[in-house]
Amino acid sequence: MLLRAVVAVVMGATLSACVTSRLEHIKEAKTGILEGESIVIMAKSYHLGNETEEKFIKCVGDSIGRGRGGLRVIPNQEFVDALFPWFEPRTAPSETKGLPALMSRPGVAEIIKEKRVRYLIWLDGDTDKTGGGGSMSCAIGPGGGGCFGFAWWQNESEYEATVWDLDGLEDAGTVSADVSGTSFLPAIIIPVPLIARTRAKACKGLADQLKLFIVADEEV
Amino acid sequence: MPFVRALIHRHTGAPTAGWELGNLKSIWLKRISATVLVAVLCGCGGSRVTLKNPSIPKPLIDPLPMSVAARYPANFDNFVHEEQVIGKEKWIIDLGRSNRLLFTQLFGAMFTEFVVIEDGADPRDLQIDAFIEPSIDAFEFSVPNQSQTDEFAVWIRYRIKISDSQGVQVANWPIAAYGKSQSSTFGGDEALRRAAVLAMRDAAALIIMQMDKSTGISKLRGTNTRSNSAPLTVIPDDVSIQTTAAEEIPDDPG
Repeated sequence: MLLRAVVAVVMGATLSACVTSRLEHIKEAKTGILEGESIVIMAKSYHLGNETEEKFIKCVGDSIGRGRGGLRVIPNQEFVDALFPWFEPRTAPSETKGLPALMSRPGVAEIIKEKRVRYLIWLDGDTDKTGGGGSMSCAIGPGGGGCFGFAWWQNESEYEATVWDLDGLEDAGTVSADVSGTSFLPAIIIPVPLIARTRAKACKGLADQLKLFIVADEEV
Repeated sequence: MPFVRALIHRHTGAPTAGWELGNLKSIWLKRISATVLVAVLCGCGGSRVTLKNPSIPKPLIDPLPMSVAARYPANFDNFVHEEQVIGKEKWIIDLGRSNRLLFTQLFGAMFTEFVVIEDGADPRDLQIDAFIEPSIDAFEFSVPNQSQTDEFAVWIRYRIKISDSQGVQVANWPIAAYGKSQSSTFGGDEALRRAAVLAMRDAAALIIMQMDKSTGISKLRGTNTRSNSAPLTVIPDDVSIQTTAAEEIPDDPG
């Protein structure tokens, strides 16, 4: 019984493979957020070559809005639709120096004030497979099926979040997450995946850092 | 591990209860049929995607104070495009009336007075400042199999012809719009649909930002006079009087 419990604990601990992560932030202006103020999380435009996954944006938004100390997050599409056409992939400002001109457009400042948007967070980066190997073969027959072999692959998730403060129309700073890990898939009849969930780890790390970055009312 | 033991016995063909010859044959047939069916379905790929009257949000702009009419080509009511990926799947996208709806919403927001006229109506009979004829020059899309990514992309090239109240063509403006969506987020059909909608929104944004600069349409304001004597002047597509295929958004506001 004790042996089974030990095997179960060891298997549980190893079913997700290891990842290494690095989180950094660079603050360029004082931050802080009042009760009722909100943030919007956007991906940098694909017109600029960015390929951040929409799932990742949703993950970060959900993580930031969740739990104790969760921030109010305006859904990305709601914000883009409300400010059409000024935040389409082609027209969204790429630098804070475009913000004064944007705010002078009819209705933009009013909508932002109505929604109490304080920070815009631009996400850049993606998850790539950086290596892999091994082989696996599976077969199915009248008596059943199974797989034999061993495969592995390495993923790297690199994301950067640029925070714009819409109160001061300035760049508040950046938060970055760099997570890498190797996944394994040994199979003796049944494949046993040991997945390094680098993107999920990057999402959680980035979201937690962003919460601290925005909420912390500290001098630069 | 009783489950693994049972699986190994099955794999080696060790007899178990219920595996008489008649049952075996029927189980064989079912499994083989299921395998073949799955293989065929997986090998097929491709799809027919229909856009069901997408709309653009109300633009946050001040409309130009002018009276404008537009006429749409027949394919704005039932535009269908097909792409055959070489040796593989066929994708069909049916825009239906999406283009008509898009331009009606767009021009309705851009001008204080806007009307759509049908074939046969003469715009010179109307008291308008400008007459617009949008059309589609080209429509293309790419699927993940072609681009070796998990993205669907759509390119649409529209052409906007503008005439004054006398029927003289003053602008012939081509615009290129682009939209992209990931299949891993939305699944194939929905991703292609979303890419098409994004391309149409891109076209709308470009028209809002650039049309006046590129065509000078606001200069036609207040020029409407009735005249049936001057024949319509049509300029060939490859000759542009006032054209900018502008895709770059300037930093300064217009």
